[in-house]
Formats: sequence, C-alpha cells, structure tokens
Amino acid sequence: MDARPTTARFIWLVAGVAFVFGAATLGLVLGPTDISSWGTIVETADRLTPFTFDSGLSETQKSIVWNLRLPRVALGLLVGASLATAGATYQGVFRNPLADPYLLGVAAGGGLGATVAFVNDWGNGEGVFDGVQLAAFVGALLAVALTWIVGVAGDRDRSAASLILAGVAVASFFTALQTFLQQRNTEDIREIYTWFLGGLTTSGWSEVLQLLPVAVVLLLVLSLTGRTLDIMAVGDEEASMLGLAVPQVRVGLLVIASLLTAAAVAVSGLIAFVGLIVPHAVRLIFGSTFRVIVPLSIFAGAGFLALSDLAARTILTPTEIPIGVITAFFGAPFFIFILRTTGRR
Amino acid sequence: MKIRSFITLALLALLAAACGSEAQETVTGDTSTTEESAFTRIVSLNPTATEMLFAIGAGDLVVAVDEFSYYPPEAPVTDLSGWDPNIEAIAGFEPDLVVTESPMEGLDAIDVENHVISAATTLGDIYAQITELGGITGHSDDAATLVTQMQTDIDAVLSSIPEREEALTYYHELDDTLYSVTSTTFIGYVYDLLGLRNVADPADADGAAYGYPQLNEEYLVDADPDVIFLADTRCCAQTAETVAARPGWDQLTAVQEGNIVELDDDVVSRWGPRVVEFIEVAGTAVAGI
Amino acid sequence: MSATLESHDLSVRVDGTPLLRSTSLAVDAGEWVSIIGPNGAGKSTLLRALVGAVDADGDVLVDGESVRSMKRMERARLMSWVPQIPTIPSTIRVFDYVLLGRTPHRHPLAAERPEDVGVVKNVLRDLDLHHLSDREMDSLSGGERQRAVVARALAQSTPIILLDEPTTALDLGHQQEVLLLLDRLRRDGRTIVTTMHDLTLAGQFADRLVLLAEGEVKAEGGAIEVLTEKNIADHYRADVRITHENGAVLVVPRIRTQESSPDDH
Repeated sequence: MDARPTTARFIWLVAGVAFVFGAATLGLVLGPTDISSWGTIVETADRLTPFTFDSGLSETQKSIVWNLRLPRVALGLLVGASLATAGATYQGVFRNPLADPYLLGVAAGGGLGATVAFVNDWGNGEGVFDGVQLAAFVGALLAVALTWIVGVAGDRDRSAASLILAGVAVASFFTALQTFLQQRNTEDIREIYTWFLGGLTTSGWSEVLQLLPVAVVLLLVLSLTGRTLDIMAVGDEEASMLGLAVPQVRVGLLVIASLLTAAAVAVSGLIAFVGLIVPHAVRLIFGSTFRVIVPLSIFAGAGFLALSDLAARTILTPTEIPIGVITAFFGAPFFIFILRTTGRR
Repeated sequence: MKIRSFITLALLALLAAACGSEAQETVTGDTSTTEESAFTRIVSLNPTATEMLFAIGAGDLVVAVDEFSYYPPEAPVTDLSGWDPNIEAIAGFEPDLVVTESPMEGLDAIDVENHVISAATTLGDIYAQITELGGITGHSDDAATLVTQMQTDIDAVLSSIPEREEALTYYHELDDTLYSVTSTTFIGYVYDLLGLRNVADPADADGAAYGYPQLNEEYLVDADPDVIFLADTRCCAQTAETVAARPGWDQLTAVQEGNIVELDDDVVSRWGPRVVEFIEVAGTAVAGI
Repeated sequence: MSATLESHDLSVRVDGTPLLRSTSLAVDAGEWVSIIGPNGAGKSTLLRALVGAVDADGDVLVDGESVRSMKRMERARLMSWVPQIPTIPSTIRVFDYVLLGRTPHRHPLAAERPEDVGVVKNVLRDLDLHHLSDREMDSLSGGERQRAVVARALAQSTPIILLDEPTTALDLGHQQEVLLLLDRLRRDGRTIVTTMHDLTLAGQFADRLVLLAEGEVKAEGGAIEVLTEKNIADHYRADVRITHENGAVLVVPRIRTQESSPDDH
C-alpha cells in the first residue's frame, strides 16, 4: 500500500483480479435457466480460447451462455469499472467523498439525449451505434460542456465549488427539458422510464464491443492518475505550489472521467450509486490515497456491478429487477454508513 | 418509477370501477328510451371511446378528441391530453359530455357530464360499453348492430382454430426491453380465447407487476414460445426480422418456423371495435401453425 | 543549495482593495528574514505573493532570475511554502503526505523513485517523525502535524523556504523545536522567510526583521533597530517595554492600572 512494500501492492492487485474473476464466474454460472455450471464454464472456455472443448450443452443452452449471459457479465464488469473509476476521479478532483460521476450533468444530459431519441424514434437503427445510445452519449457530453462553460464564466479560477454549482444548474435545466419532452410524449413514457432505471437486460456483444475500447483506454489512463489526485488533495493553492498545473489537470481529469461515464451511460442507462459507493468503500477499507483508490475502484466496481446484475436477473426470476433498484438498495444504507463514519472524523 | 406508474394506473382503474357505474346510471337514466341524443357536443379523451363513438355513427357529435385519438382518421384530433387533462382547455370546446378512461374531477364546476369508459377485462365489458355509448348518443340500434357483428366475426375466428392436445405457448412483446403481459390482462384474456398458454405468467405470479412483468431474456429463450406476438412495431420499430436478428434468438422455435406475428401497437392496446382485427390477425396466425 | 530572493515593487489588490503596496525586499542566500506586523498588515499576503500563490504586480527574482519566466515545476523546485493553515487530506499517512513534497522532482503521473523515498526517510528522521511514518495525519498532535507539514516542505528540497506562522499552533517546547530546526537549515545555507506573531522569538532567531503595516514596509533591520517601543506603539497600538538581555530583545507588555493591556502582542 505504501510506497515501500511493493509486495503488498501486488497482493492487493491479485485480490482485485480474484474478486473480478470470482464475480464474473458466479455471473456466468448462475442464471434464471437451469444450465449445468460446469457446462457454462467449459462452453466459455471453448468460445474464448483457441482450444476446442465439448460442453455437452444443447444448442439453445450454448446460445444462452454465449449470446446472453456472457455479454451481460462482460458489460456489467465494464460499466461497473467505468462508473466506479470515474466516481473515484470525481471525488478526488472535487475533494469531496460524496461526489459522483453524475455531478456535472452527465445523467441529466444523457437522460435528455435518450428522451429526444425515444420521442423521435431514433432507436433500433441499422448501423453499428443505436440512435438512443448515440443521443445519450452526445447529450451527456453536451451537459458537461455546458457545465464547464457556465462554471468558468462565473469564476475565472475554475474552482471546484463554482463547477459543482454550475453542474446543479445545468442538471436542473436539462431535467426540466427532459420532463417537458416526456410529458408531451406520454406514449414513450415506458421506454424512457426503463432507460432511466438503467440496466443490462437486453445487452449483447455489440454493446460490449462499443464500450470496450473506450473503457479500456480511459481506465488505463485514469489508473495512472491516482498520484495526481493525491497531490490535488492538499487543495488548489498548495498543489499549485507543489508544481501541479491545477486548472489544466482538473479539466483533463474531468474530461476523461466524463467521457468514460457518458460511454457507460449510453449502453446501460442511469445506474445509480455505483460511482458513489464503490470508490468510497475502497477508501474506507484501504485508506485515502488515490493511487490505491483509483486502481482498486476498477476491480471493485467491475465485481460489484456484475454481482448486482446477477441479483437483478435471478432474485425474482423469471422477471427482471431494474439494476438501479439493486444498486440503490445496497447503496442507500451504505450512504448513511458513509455519512456516519465521515461525520465522526 | 415503472412500478409506481403501474400502481397509479391500477388505482385509477379501481376508482373507475368504483365510480364509473354511478356516473353511467345517471346518464343512461333519462336517455334510454329515445333515439334522440342527450348530448350534442362530445369531447373524448379516450382513444378507445373515440373509436367506439365513430363506429356506432356518433362521430358527428364529437367536437374534439385527445392527442392519441387519431383513429379513425376523421376524428377531430386536438392537443388535449388524456393523461393530464386541462379543464379550461376542455371548456373551450363547449362540450356537454366528456368521455374519459377514469373519472374526471372538476367537470361539475362547468356543468359538464362525465362518462367513463374504463379498461375492459372481457369482451362482455366491451359490448356493454358500446351499448352504453349507443344509449346516450341516440345510436342504440347502431350499437346493437355493431355488437352483433363483432360477436359473429369473433366466433368465426375462434371456430376456425383447430383443437390441440397441448396448448401452444406464446410471448407477447410490449417493447424491446422485454416487457410483456400475463394472462390476467385483457390482452392475455384474448389469447386465452385463442387457446394459447402464456410463457410470461410465472414472471408475475403474485401480481406485483399488475400483469406487466419485464421478462429475463435468458428465461424467454429457454422457455422457447411457439409463437411471438409483437405489439411494439410502432413504438420500437420491431419486426420479424429485427427479432430474428437479436443475439441468441435464432434458437427459438418461433423464429425458426417463422411464427412471429406483427401487430399494430394501437389496435392491441385499445379495447374498441378493432379488437376484432386483433383477434383475426392473431387467430389466423395460430390456426396456421 | 542556496539562493537569493528579491521582490521588486510587489503589489497585491483584491477586489480593488490594496493588501500589499509596492513592497521591495531582498533576502540573501542563507539568510533568515522574519516578517512581523499587526493583524491585517499583509504578512501572509506578502509571503503568498513571493511564492506565487496570489496574483501580484511587480516581480519576484530568485538568484536574479524572474520567477515569471519560470514554469510552475521549476519554481516549485526553488521555493517551498508552509501555509498557516494547510489543507490536510483526512486519512493520509504521514509518509505519503511528506512524499507529496517530491512532486516537482518527477512527472506527475510517474511513480516515486527510490531517491524520493530516500529523501522522505531522511527528512522524517531529521524531524523525529520516522516513528509516526505509518500514522494517519488526523491522529497526530498539533505539534507533530506542524512538523509533518514542515517535513513536506523540506522534502521539496528547495533552497528557499517560506513559512507562514510556523509556530502559532505550537506550545513553547514545540515552538523551540521548529525554530531550532529552521536555524539548522539556515546554517546549511537555505534561505528562510517566515511570518511571526511572537516578536521576541522573531527577534531572537531571524537575522533580520521586516515590519509590515498597512501593506507597506515600515521598518527593516536587526531586532534592536526594528523592535522599538515607538515602532510597536505606532503600528501595533500596543504599550510595551523593550528590554535587552543576553543579546535578545524582549518585548513585554506593560500592565496598565486602569484597563487591561491588549493581549495581542
């Protein structure tokens, strides 16, 4: 953990990988349909490795494992890692443990984008990218950009506080537009609500392949920035006196974290609390240095969302529980716990 | 939010059931015997009621309908909302009767009658509602003729369906996130008439989703329904092709044997005269399997 | 490791209010200058203007070279700053906190090198903090924490160190400890600028005092020249008695008979 024992850091890395691997395996093995656990593992090995194995599953079962379960697990890992790591970055940049990746308007912007797409029937496009996903992505980035412009206009120093306030204003504005549109188009209300609750219900490999390159690159970049966040923890002024170009670094980190969040939101809707509670849990357990929090958030977020999705699809089988309900169900009590423990300090 | 909206709907339906009969009584009381309409300026905020009014020839009494009452095409569509109606906007059309899906408050203040056509659960409900509308608009005979015609057409479809030893299974899709209906809904009741068994029933065994559960995709593929009905061809642009192209769905019997029935979202979600159309399309498909 | 520090006509205005008026200062390499003055005189502002934490007109030169032409990193390798109220991340460990001082010596994304760890260990040992290395900053006493903040500045390995009220939060023993440490650094050739409330201590340790009031330098020189009853009466509005003892200048408030003396000495 500390700068000194590299072995300790290696152990945590191994533990993180093991957690992700365990969550993924559980997600693969368990599901609403009764398929032999061993069979799912053998089938996955057959598909993912160059070797050929006979899983002994029926064609339908093979298809369920490969086309439905695996991509869902994979997307859960990617979305969870993205939201948690973006959350860790936001918390570091704003020096606020209650910051989450939706703070600067990603959620409201994505929501408006998705609503516009539903209302105009842009969904289900033939191309690689679904209209709703694209609109949500663009909407999310537009909202963050607007937050930035408003925040900087109000405060030349681009302080964290003015950005947060701008984020609140922009989010309210976008939410108002979104609600107006939704009320004018009540026939689309079901689709809109479903999107807002977030979920991986009908995710396939195409969503995984869309998010994968973006997530891998941005997660790698962010995993290197923990030290920078640690420097920022001493405040803008002192960090600047330590040689850090605070305003530029802040823009850079927020752009990366927001891109990552927007990409995750585009394929999975608004999944609440992951970006807030996962980095915070990591902080409580492993201490508050970001060079530990950021990389561990990748693993913790991936595993947490994969497990949440497992709960979402199995608890009330064969119906789905919106994943936002699962994450909030565990998230809300945790939130109170955070408030109590941080209040003590 | 999803669940809450269903709770709201269900409560509204209960209210409608509780208050609806009373409203109907007062209305039918003074008009049942004459073929003269008690009302001359009708506003319909319920697309099903609009279809019924036009089908019994009372369309010329209708001065305004809500934004979704776009069938038949000659209906005078306005931007009135059936979801969240504004009394003042309604008053602007100077109606003497407003037809809604659930009882509407505030009409007393402008001295306008309210007639409720609440969601039907059986064909009998539909016939009764058509008959009531006929009574209060002076079109009793037309209403009776329509009901008889509907009964004849539906019987013809039902009798054309062959008996089977084991019932065919079906999945009825409301949108592309796999929301479906159970047998407890009106739509499920129609499929019951056609002798089908619903694969979505276990997903809402306790009725917590009010008959509208979201299915797990894996479960659905595993359940392998014999026939798929798409009621999301308008909302979500789904077709037999898009369904067949979904990952993993190529394994389904319904996909492999081409038993995907594209329905009109509107026709299915309304319980008006066009329910015959729904039963004909679905019945023909079932008879051909 | 030594450098001179100069300021030319340094002025700071915040919202039109001048906090510092055209202040010029020259500190020799290895000299300790202490800035004194009443509350609101602009002591902290002067220090912040020197280190570049606040926008100022005029210029600051290190070894004759203007800091304006320097990159932030470069400047951070020349000057370190101990703010009066430092921002301390809640659960950070002492070692990690002090390690932050190494920031200007490596790329912000790069891992710390063995030499960074070595510097931090040495500093911790020098300041008698090595046994607290794994403790969280929150759990330290006021004196220990202040030493950790100074340690961070030392880990920055700069020829010039500016400290804003380094002794204010400390009891007598810890005050002495920190001041003796600064004294040792000065002997090593570091240039030191502090602001100080305690005039006696300021006069005792610093080579030179600069009396600041209303944003201007009012007096400058050795303790004997600057710490006069008149200067203190004029600028502090305090009634004091000055005594000299073993080369130290003692500033003692006079107890008046009718009203209590201002305790802000």
